Amino acid sequence: MNTIISGVPLTYYLTLAVTMFATGVLGVLLRRNAVVIFMSVELMLNSVNLVFISFSKAMGNIGGEVIVFFVMAIAAAEAAVGLAIVIAIHRHKKTVFVDEINLLKW
Amino acid sequence: MELDLSNPQPLLFLIFAGICLGSSLSVVLHKNPVISAVSLVLSFFALAGIYAVMNAIFIATMQVLVYAGAIMVLVIFVIMLLSLREETNLEIWRSPIKQAGIVILVFMYGVLLVAAVNYNPEIGNGKPVESYSFMIQDGQNKGIEVTGNTASVGASTFLDYLLPFELVSILLTAAVIGAVVIAKREKLNNPNT
Repeated sequence: MNTIISGVPLTYYLTLAVTMFATGVLGVLLRRNAVVIFMSVELMLNSVNLVFISFSKAMGNIGGEVIVFFVMAIAAAEAAVGLAIVIAIHRHKKTVFVDEINLLKW
Repeated sequence: MELDLSNPQPLLFLIFAGICLGSSLSVVLHKNPVISAVSLVLSFFALAGIYAVMNAIFIATMQVLVYAGAIMVLVIFVIMLLSLREETNLEIWRSPIKQAGIVILVFMYGVLLVAAVNYNPEIGNGKPVESYSFMIQDGQNKGIEVTGNTASVGASTFLDYLLPFELVSILLTAAVIGAVVIAKREKLNNPNT
């Protein structure tokens, strides 16, 4: 396995991806706005894409980039459905803060 | 392992990684959702630069088109529709010096991106960057071989991953129909809204 990609060791890419993923998890856990939580999920998806590309380049296998292409398509589908849910919730509850949406709690 | 900073690619990687991490933190920590969205666009562009440094040109292009284009337009439209008025007042647009600074930053960023794409010495002088070979079983084992990043990804998509590709198209159709159904106003049940 070629551990240096374009002059940068593989470890650097993986460290960057892990840090981005941790940032996304932090956003999901800390923020109350549903749209910002949604953007944090997108950050996590992007960090996983970076790991796919890194290992695809390191192992010389093009399959990782094809999988990233599929992940992008599924992220687009998730964006459409998730934002539609946010809009529907905002229409009924007049809020997008997730701690005020407690329909399943009584 | 140390970075060899005499080559421009590790330097570009460091710059893009710094922009990416800084804008990711800004997405999470900033109170204004509009600034979070703009930071997310910046983070997507920085990731596209990293992909370009890694010589994954097709994925870098798709990153800009799909993420920074389509998905972020969707997010910003939703922020607009939800009318978070008290949060979306941007003082940053009222100062001309800051406007010029933003324009210059965007311009410099574009130059960095182009440099990242163009500096790869394999691109542009006709040498194959990477190759992908696929053997067609037609009795005499005729094989095809393509070179270049985009051609390799395309050949692999349509030869090795054809069934997942079709399934993704069905999934996208279902998701779009579902999004329309969820976000539609319920006129039949509730004529007042």
